[in-house]
Amino acid sequence: MKWWTTKANDPTTVIKGNSSFEETVQQSVVLTTMESMVAWGRKNSIWPFNFGLSCCYVEMATSITSKYDVARFGAEVIRGTPREADMMIVAGTVFIKMAPIIKRLYEQMMAPRWIIAMGACASSGGMYDIYSVVQGVDKFMPVDVYVPGCPPRPDAFLEGIVLLRDKVGKEKRPLNWVIGPQGIVRPDMPAQRDLKRAERMKMTEIRPPDEV
Amino acid sequence: MTTTDNDIISELKNKFGEAILMVQPTRDEFPTVWVDAAHIAEVLKYLKNEISKPYKMLYDLTAIDEQAKVHKVHPGSKFTIVYLLLSFDRNNFIRIKVPLSSDKPSVTSITKIWPAANWYEREVYDMFGVNFEGHPHLRRILMPGTWKGHPLQKCHPARATEMGPFQLPEDKQDEEQDMLKFKPEEWGLSKSNDDEEFMFLNLGPQHPGTHGVLRLVLQLDGESIVNVVPDIGFHHRGAEKMGERQSWHTYIPYTDRVEYLGGVMNNFPYVMCVEKLAGIQIPDRAKVIRIMMSELFRISSHLVWYGTFAQDLGMMTPVFLTFYDREKLFGIVEAITGDRMHPNWFRIGGVAQDLPNGWEKMVKDFLDYFPKRLKEYDKMVMRNNIFKARTVGIGVYTTEEAIEWGVTGAGLRATGFEWDFRKKQPYSGYEQFEFDIPTAQNGDCYDRALVRVEEMRQSLRIIQQCLDNMPEGPYKSDHPATTPPIKKYTMIHIETLINHFLNVTWGPVIPAGEAFVGVEATKGHNGYYLTSDGSTGSYRTRIRTPSFPHMQFVPEISRGYTIPDLLAILGSVDYVLSDVDR
Repeated sequence: MKWWTTKANDPTTVIKGNSSFEETVQQSVVLTTMESMVAWGRKNSIWPFNFGLSCCYVEMATSITSKYDVARFGAEVIRGTPREADMMIVAGTVFIKMAPIIKRLYEQMMAPRWIIAMGACASSGGMYDIYSVVQGVDKFMPVDVYVPGCPPRPDAFLEGIVLLRDKVGKEKRPLNWVIGPQGIVRPDMPAQRDLKRAERMKMTEIRPPDEV
Repeated sequence: MTTTDNDIISELKNKFGEAILMVQPTRDEFPTVWVDAAHIAEVLKYLKNEISKPYKMLYDLTAIDEQAKVHKVHPGSKFTIVYLLLSFDRNNFIRIKVPLSSDKPSVTSITKIWPAANWYEREVYDMFGVNFEGHPHLRRILMPGTWKGHPLQKCHPARATEMGPFQLPEDKQDEEQDMLKFKPEEWGLSKSNDDEEFMFLNLGPQHPGTHGVLRLVLQLDGESIVNVVPDIGFHHRGAEKMGERQSWHTYIPYTDRVEYLGGVMNNFPYVMCVEKLAGIQIPDRAKVIRIMMSELFRISSHLVWYGTFAQDLGMMTPVFLTFYDREKLFGIVEAITGDRMHPNWFRIGGVAQDLPNGWEKMVKDFLDYFPKRLKEYDKMVMRNNIFKARTVGIGVYTTEEAIEWGVTGAGLRATGFEWDFRKKQPYSGYEQFEFDIPTAQNGDCYDRALVRVEEMRQSLRIIQQCLDNMPEGPYKSDHPATTPPIKKYTMIHIETLINHFLNVTWGPVIPAGEAFVGVEATKGHNGYYLTSDGSTGSYRTRIRTPSFPHMQFVPEISRGYTIPDLLAILGSVDYVLSDVDR
């Protein structure tokens, strides 16, 4: 889909074209498949669940506020109940005492639903290899995107949202539970480390820490 | 020890004779007295109610599993219960220790003397398996009810990876969910009074108003709250057990994450405590840098509180503005330390590195910028009539109640009691700074807010003085235990090379002993009580956090109000769940 805007004080120009029927149709009709339209809609309005566990939640909340503004990616409609949300951000440490509750909240979300594991703790236990902490939320729940960091900067979290949007846009989900192939086809999500390696290796000069 | 400390010890000896087992010298120079378990209740009652200049606050209550210790102070003790009391009249602490030599340790509960001992004793029971006779509800507080064993016992595994992979099959899920069902009878709560049946409402552990994973069960009579039962432990990260596993140096990053809004403010008491154990003197520049960074974080933490508190009461705008200011602060913090929330930047013997060139301008710009914003927030929040209506006269308590329940920080000062550890027991050179202790009179939600707002202005004053008078000199001590050691002392001869190598790989060996150091942190008085057994790691790390007693106090100040008032009270208490559960 192609679209554009004009500025308020742009000089009006003579309308190009000949106002033929074909031209009008070209300008006003979009042809697409139902499947990709639904995927496009899903991708651009992911509603997050207002859910936080520890430190990462503060950085997640920061990404909602002015400087970072998660609304740019269509994910600012924070829901207080899992039943209305599409995405759960496991922001923080997954405590053993909390795990059954997290699982229950996940089960209360309606499909399609996605999970971002935000931060080292939610991804792998992080620095907390300790008796009261589950070593990663993927021990009992599927995870779509892992965001590293302790805690990840809001920028990193936003990158996670962008990756999830890509994934959601490319996912194929059956629109009918009788006709056509069933089951979800998920796109490949290669690790960003591999994709970015070449570019990162180009950096040879690292800014010294004694300058601001 | 000073003469007054000797006085209190001889007073105790005269009064209780044989029950006073011994006096222990400690690095923090608090009078430390071992008392026979049979007499502990009398001794504590005497210290609280009968002597002149009494010890009114039960500051901390914890235990030590002595079974793996090499340098034992009391040879027969398997578990030692440690009571730390604070006297405001004396401006001093006293530490009472009780040795328990049985395999099934048990001691008299002191909940009748201090109701605030309730949660502390439950914690010791949960973590060490010590029984408290006469305790009203001795049950687990931090660990789930289905847990086996007592985590802080030396025989309990520390790592999750030692305990087998975590699984959550459906039957376990159901069992855990059943465990979470609230049964009022277990708490001694009646299901109805003469005319009404009570409603029990579950708030949390997932609720936007609880600021984290906290569960509160409310007993309601129509709209009004009859009782509140907080259920904590959903955020228990085993920070104390972690201290026994990490080396002295590699534990610093974990301190950042206790009270995660305070950043380096959490490193502060920990490194000072290790320095006290090792006898390290800190250069002036490092002292002032530490103060400046801590005060920046005090403002940052208060800004989070300011915005979210206003949001709890229905205001959408302030949180966006205060978080914007917090980003400005983080710009400075990042330029200096390289990280935002958890800089992990203080070191044993100093700070990680010197201030970068150009820091003065960043700090100065912020000092010019921020007062205007505070004025704007005053107009927007503090003088807002709806805000006042929601907070004035809500959650009121007096100074006496606050002391009884172990409340410190802004919550104590809002009752009109001028007590700030930065002034009363200055550390790191705070005595050389000019600032006021903001207080308020009524001890309600509004006054607690008022005190915090004014504290931000006082922090700005302190930062201004740091900026104007930053001393020259080294940012790290040249004491051999300084970690990481200073490189220029390495290549002198083989001894210095070996020292450097050992200090970098294993970390310093801290001489056996124990010390407590606390700071006036963002939420209240935060302290570390470290016991060294003469090795490269701590034998026992006790973190006394302010939010734990504050959370215990919430039911006391919420009875009779409505649920919206409860959310105002929770916001005004300003706790962080990691600070409650550690």
